[in-house]
Amino acid sequence: MKKTLVVFAHPYLEHSNSNVELINFYVRHQHYTLRDLYEEYPDFHIAAFRERKRLKNYERFVFQFPLIWFGMPPLLRLWIDEVFDRDWLKENEHNPLEGKEVYILVTTGGKERSFSKTGTYQYTIDELISGLIVSLKVFKADIKHIKIVYEANKLSKKEIILHKKEFTELLNQ
Amino acid sequence: MESSLAMNTLIFLGVAIIMVPLARKFGLSSVIGYILGGIIIGPYALKLTGNNVNDIMHASEFGVIMLLFLVGLELEPRKFWEMRKKIMGLGLSQMALTILLLFLVFISVGWRVDKAIAVAMCFALSSTAIVLQTLQEKNNLKTTAGEASFSTLLFQDISVIPILAILPIVANYKAKHHDNDIQILIQKLPEWLQAGTVIFGVALLILLGRYVFVPFLRYVSKSGMTELLTASSLFLVIGVSELMVVIGLSPALGAFLAGVMLANSEFRHELEAQIDPFKGLLLAVFFVSVGSTINFNIIQKDPLFIFSTVFAVLAVKFVVLYTIGKFFRIDTPQSLFYAFALSQVGEFAFVLLNYASDLYLLGPEMNAQMMAVTAITMCITPILLIINEKFITPKFIKEIPEEEHDFNILGSDVSQKKIIIVGFGHFGSTVGRLLKANKIPATVLDRDSDRVKLLRSYGFKVYYGDATRIPILRAAGIEDAEILVLCLDDPDDNKFIAELVREHYPEVKIFVRAKNRIDAYDYLNSGVNHIYRETLGTAVDMAVDVLHETGMRKYAARRLGQRFMAIDKASIRKLAKMKENDDDITLFTTKEILQREEELLAYDNLNFDNKNWEGSSSADEEDEDESQD
Repeated sequence: MKKTLVVFAHPYLEHSNSNVELINFYVRHQHYTLRDLYEEYPDFHIAAFRERKRLKNYERFVFQFPLIWFGMPPLLRLWIDEVFDRDWLKENEHNPLEGKEVYILVTTGGKERSFSKTGTYQYTIDELISGLIVSLKVFKADIKHIKIVYEANKLSKKEIILHKKEFTELLNQ
Repeated sequence: MESSLAMNTLIFLGVAIIMVPLARKFGLSSVIGYILGGIIIGPYALKLTGNNVNDIMHASEFGVIMLLFLVGLELEPRKFWEMRKKIMGLGLSQMALTILLLFLVFISVGWRVDKAIAVAMCFALSSTAIVLQTLQEKNNLKTTAGEASFSTLLFQDISVIPILAILPIVANYKAKHHDNDIQILIQKLPEWLQAGTVIFGVALLILLGRYVFVPFLRYVSKSGMTELLTASSLFLVIGVSELMVVIGLSPALGAFLAGVMLANSEFRHELEAQIDPFKGLLLAVFFVSVGSTINFNIIQKDPLFIFSTVFAVLAVKFVVLYTIGKFFRIDTPQSLFYAFALSQVGEFAFVLLNYASDLYLLGPEMNAQMMAVTAITMCITPILLIINEKFITPKFIKEIPEEEHDFNILGSDVSQKKIIIVGFGHFGSTVGRLLKANKIPATVLDRDSDRVKLLRSYGFKVYYGDATRIPILRAAGIEDAEILVLCLDDPDDNKFIAELVREHYPEVKIFVRAKNRIDAYDYLNSGVNHIYRETLGTAVDMAVDVLHETGMRKYAARRLGQRFMAIDKASIRKLAKMKENDDDITLFTTKEILQREEELLAYDNLNFDNKNWEGSSSADEEDEDESQD
């Protein structure tokens, strides 16, 4: 099993229906380390050095977050701003993301058909979170899969568990 | 055996000290320990004490008065008002049915009618002292059975007075001079006013509770002397019960009502802490006396009669209580507990039986026999309760699914964490206000009576009490508290309480206000991890604004401030570890403090270098990773 860091950001986890269920998988498995950003940095002061040092220790990354007003949560955005370092691309520098597998799990309350060129919002989720995707690509990370859970606030517990199973099977391949 | 007061006290205390820990060791209630102790020192074993029923009554009367006062303190007036139907319903039906059934049983074995009525009335009462003591020990007062038991007992206490009035009528006894000394005032009044005195008494108590007790206690607390508070607590309880005697009401009821009236006041925890030891001692004396009064000669003479009576009484009371419990929709295990708990004959029977034999209702032998029955039933109930707890209740509990059962028993108290805040000055009140604004209840203790009064007028639940004393903390509920917040001004007091609580209640999480670094070292080295230096946050805020004033952008200044805080908090932990072996950490001179500041500045210089910070934070990470595995 690959040692996996889960970077999880949810500003309103106490009101979440699906994410609470989805993250309990990581807590139960020893190869996964869950970093709950909103719990760790409630005052939005990210210890960048510590985070960078941490990244080196993992072989695989999962980014999990809800879509907040058609983008990623602000603390995850800030985390990228503070932690990702252009120097990683220089020669003789270690790039902790290079060649590492990345999985992304996004939850949203919207319907699948709304997130299309012809739908209500006219943008796909990949486009809306392109900041994360492009940044990862710049550092040569290997984005394996982006899973999107639509209408996450309306799902029954059974359906959520089904989504969780699907995603963990992906991770266990 | 003639003996002095000191000698008697010595014997009583001695036997209690030996027997109670023994009883507790075998998992028995302390009541059994006391009673066994009483049997040992009584006239039929070691012959160390006399056999005097009056002594018992004095001890038990005051013990019960204090016990009811304490129970009253736990019960807010609104809650009491809600219980009124329960008290009437449970109490009246229990008394009426038990008296009727016992009467029928006695008649059927051929007793005289008047004798049967008298004994039935005496035996319908249960023992407030034994039941409430057991409930408190088992922490069962707030369960359904606990409340039902308590309601019934309260009604029984009230009904002692009518029974005292009925007994002479039963005896057809006219002589005035034998009337008991309890009803003094009531008999001087014309008959149409007699009912009024009861209402008058209760109204008087409510008025006193509202307008006299609290200002009186405030006045005393201003003197700041602990022993005066002890004195005034005792004065209050004994005063109220005497007042009730004069009016013609049960003194226990008076004490209970006084307790209820004070349940909302800021002195609740202070009073609890003051009265509790007295209550404990007096009840102990009472239980020991019960043991010592068992007259084994009488039992030997006719054991069959005594034990069949004991059995009949217990059985009748049990059946009546269980039926009532079921009728009032109490579930089976709780009904069983209720029925077993109240199945004994109470301490009032001692008085009533004596009174009845004064009225020639009972002969001297019959009187002694009935006394023995009473004492034996008292000894049996604690044992019955253990049998119920160990063998009977588990059978019923299994039928209920685990989760639901947990939910029922725990109720709402456990779902929220219990918080105690000590000190409600500028610092503590900020903590308290933020909690209150988010509807998190906390028990607040403060020892400035003026401030307590002011805060209460704004609707804060603040209690007067000096938290450096463990009884006060216990009264405030430290035993089941999860969080203790120490916000006192004086660092020595905070330290003292933190150490006290860590020693006695290591489970409680302590959050403490620290004056400065040196305080913080102390706390860290004594294992308290949640430390809040009162100057750190404000000083950093100020520095951030000064940085901005020098031309730095606000966001940049803010980031530097936060980084400074993070490093400072980490460094204090490291420096505390380094200094752990210094004995003289508390004995700083001004010069040494300066020296320490210098060390700190040197340390800062190292730390703010990026590379070093990376190093220092990696150590933090190692700690965290360890804790995760």
